[in-house]
Amino acid sequence: MVIDRAWRGLGARSGLESLSGPGGAPLTRTVKLIVLPLIIRPALRPELAADFLGAGETAQLDSLMRESGALLHATAQWFTVLKKTRRALGITAGNPQDLYFQRCFELATEHGPPAASAGADTVARSVVEDIADAGGGRTVEALKEYLDDADRRTRLDARLAAAWDTRWAVPNADAGESAFHLAAEVLDAVARPGSGTDVGTDAGSSACSAMLAAGHGSRLGQAVRTGTDGVWGRADLPAHLGLSAHPVPNRPEVGHGASTATLPAPFDRTLFERLFTVLQASAHREELPAVPELVRREVGRSCAPLGLYDESLRVAVVLGGRLAVGLDPLGLDQRGHHPLGPGETEPGRTAAHRIVNSRWQREASVLRARRMTVSSRPDPDGGQLSALAQDLRTPWVAYMRRLWVRLHGRDVRDAALPDAASAWTVLDGVARSVMMDHRARVRTALRALSTSTATARVAAAHEPRSA
Amino acid sequence: MPGAGGGTGVRVTRAADGTVQIAVPAAPGPAFVRAVLDVAGAVLTWPVLGTAALPAAEVHDPGRAQQWLWAVYGERTAAAVHALAAVPPGVSVDVAPPESPESETALAGYAARLALGHWAARWWPASYTDGIPALEPDLLGMELAALTHRCQQLFDDPEDQPDGDPAELLETHQAALDSLVRWWQAARESASGPVRQLDGVLRLIDDAADCAGVAGDAVRRLRSALETGAPYDPRGSHELRTPLGLGSLFARSGGYALAAGERLVPGGRVIARGSGTNDWRRYPPGFVDPSESAVSWTVSAVGAGRVIEVEAVADVAAPVGGVRLAAEVRVEGGPPTLVSLARRGDVWAGRADLDVPASLPPRTRVEVGVLLPGFDPDPDPELDPEADTEPGPGPGTDGADGRADRDAVRALARHRLAAAALPEPQGTYPQPFPAPFLAEIVAAATADAGEDF
Repeated sequence: MVIDRAWRGLGARSGLESLSGPGGAPLTRTVKLIVLPLIIRPALRPELAADFLGAGETAQLDSLMRESGALLHATAQWFTVLKKTRRALGITAGNPQDLYFQRCFELATEHGPPAASAGADTVARSVVEDIADAGGGRTVEALKEYLDDADRRTRLDARLAAAWDTRWAVPNADAGESAFHLAAEVLDAVARPGSGTDVGTDAGSSACSAMLAAGHGSRLGQAVRTGTDGVWGRADLPAHLGLSAHPVPNRPEVGHGASTATLPAPFDRTLFERLFTVLQASAHREELPAVPELVRREVGRSCAPLGLYDESLRVAVVLGGRLAVGLDPLGLDQRGHHPLGPGETEPGRTAAHRIVNSRWQREASVLRARRMTVSSRPDPDGGQLSALAQDLRTPWVAYMRRLWVRLHGRDVRDAALPDAASAWTVLDGVARSVMMDHRARVRTALRALSTSTATARVAAAHEPRSA
Repeated sequence: MPGAGGGTGVRVTRAADGTVQIAVPAAPGPAFVRAVLDVAGAVLTWPVLGTAALPAAEVHDPGRAQQWLWAVYGERTAAAVHALAAVPPGVSVDVAPPESPESETALAGYAARLALGHWAARWWPASYTDGIPALEPDLLGMELAALTHRCQQLFDDPEDQPDGDPAELLETHQAALDSLVRWWQAARESASGPVRQLDGVLRLIDDAADCAGVAGDAVRRLRSALETGAPYDPRGSHELRTPLGLGSLFARSGGYALAAGERLVPGGRVIARGSGTNDWRRYPPGFVDPSESAVSWTVSAVGAGRVIEVEAVADVAAPVGGVRLAAEVRVEGGPPTLVSLARRGDVWAGRADLDVPASLPPRTRVEVGVLLPGFDPDPDPELDPEADTEPGPGPGTDGADGRADRDAVRALARHRLAAAALPEPQGTYPQPFPAPFLAEIVAAATADAGEDF
């Protein structure tokens, strides 16, 4: 709000239109990508990090904004120039705000406002082109080309075979139960309402450190490899929780093609498919190693416990699994239907479960209002919709797949999860994504049902991608 | 903004699940009387039939919600949410009514309008039988794209908030863009029609496309039309002064003559007939005509057996091939018999054997509801928290079948169409009744132009 007022103060002279929304407020991305990280910089000025500022801080923020007024005006002008250049070059990929905002700020800092005399057009052109191939050859096409070489594929296959047969030094593998309880302790502590810097987080962190120290992530990997049952407090769930279609995953192949529509379960993916998903996600591409190095490391990674190198990420799989087996998107438990069947004790719910499950309850109500329901009662004639409802009865499968892909992406970029709080941020984010995935699938299924009509309209986007 | 919040203020509560809830006094009701919007860190809900201008909110991420809370509810409510986020569950505070109208109320008004537009796309009771015209989906979609952009402050991540992505709406509905431009040009020339509203929508669309990097021929033509102001098709424009012209501009799904299908079972002796329940919640939009009289049934004696035939009038836009609906039939509250319904002409129809006595007693209770298999939701726990400890009957058979609410929604639609038919439907957005959407203006105009063109 303070930012909004300060912004409008600057904008009275106008010239900030390209960074403002239709009502004159700054665009959400202007705040997120420019004002907060580049002008207010709460990391340097913790007093400005709060949601609510006192009078002194408000004045400080206001003066920061005013000092940056000329810079912001120049940024706005650069943005207009870059958008024009982008159009002229026929570039359409990506959101221009995401791609250019920070660069525009840099250009404004370096050059001031764009001036034709100073060759602004040339600068703009090189920036736009630069950003367009920021991936620096880390693309699916490059991967395909690299793996098209038959000799190379043979060599990689031999290395995969050798890596798969290497025995892991796993500390005392028979410790599933203590992992199960420690994970619950972490989940209960990190997600408690109001847990910020208090005791709850400490308890979560120490349980999390204990899991890390005991190598519980690697132990789960061992259980997956040996097909140990009962890891998740239920005899009927495999240790891998649906991360493989087989009781015990097979050695990964090299592979040379992939399609988002037909990707197998994560542990059954080829080397190509694993890297394909990484390269598909365009964010952070510049942080990736070059393709040959990417492939070399994936050989070892794909044969490592849980397909991940970093133990903190493996522990996150244990935490995620513990959360996933207690998920109840249909509210069956609340309504007296024990999802685990009568007579079985359900895995004790934690604060994290309460948060995620109550979110599903709200989602159910929102989906009703959106006229996008699926019947939780099995219906043999329900087709695709019934299949989606069935997926909600085994929520851990979708959850674990989403989680693994995210952790794998982190592993490739060497982004470990240093503590319980950061792990919870990922776990919570995955829970939201799974919910949104469900919503998107219901929408697609309903569109497919409605488009066998005379007034059929083309369903938009969400085309599966392949290579 | 007279009557915003009814002058009663709002109650802010830290709920047991850790969310912060902002409740504006609102009557509960079935799903189809709620307009919802997913925004940054919260879900907003407006009662469609109510008069509350301010929504109820369930804030699950108070930090992210701060970007818009103050602009919708005012500073005091934003501060209350911030304060409550740090206390144990169960605490609530009452916040006085919002401060005097400022720029913030504008956002609340546009947000209400956006939510209502999404609601109309899902629940608008377009019915041939009831004489309620349909809203052209692409035209409505384009106005929603414009409104979404106008409300950009509410959103921070399209992955999380599917309602917050103007680019997706633009791409899905851009078929209506050229027609919109022509309408705008004709309306400007003749100085009639909702010129200001058209102007506002088109400029927002242009800005949204620019912001999100949406390109395409239609967007380019819009841009050049806005820049030059010159009509690109001067010959066609004069027609658009008439409703007939509007009708041809926004082609609708054409002629629709209600013709009952052939009787499936010729012969047989009719022993009972009646109409069923048409519960909108049990099938997606555009499948069954939402009229109260759309579902009918007949029980006949055929030889030694009894057969029930069910017919449901199809929605004008209903899919023709492949999909089947089902009718759920209960006699005297007994176990359901399912009748599969296939599209036949303008109805969904099907028949099944029914296990009832040869002479059905006169006042036998026969309940018939139609549904899309797999879609039929569970009873709404918000309406009936006690319901469904057993997988029981669907929402159409639980007694409270929502007929009064459906009638209220039809009345709302008729009321809005009447307002849209006024010569000057444009203007500011009077609360609590958002001004007509362009799609409503077209629907009202083309319906008035006569059912016989």
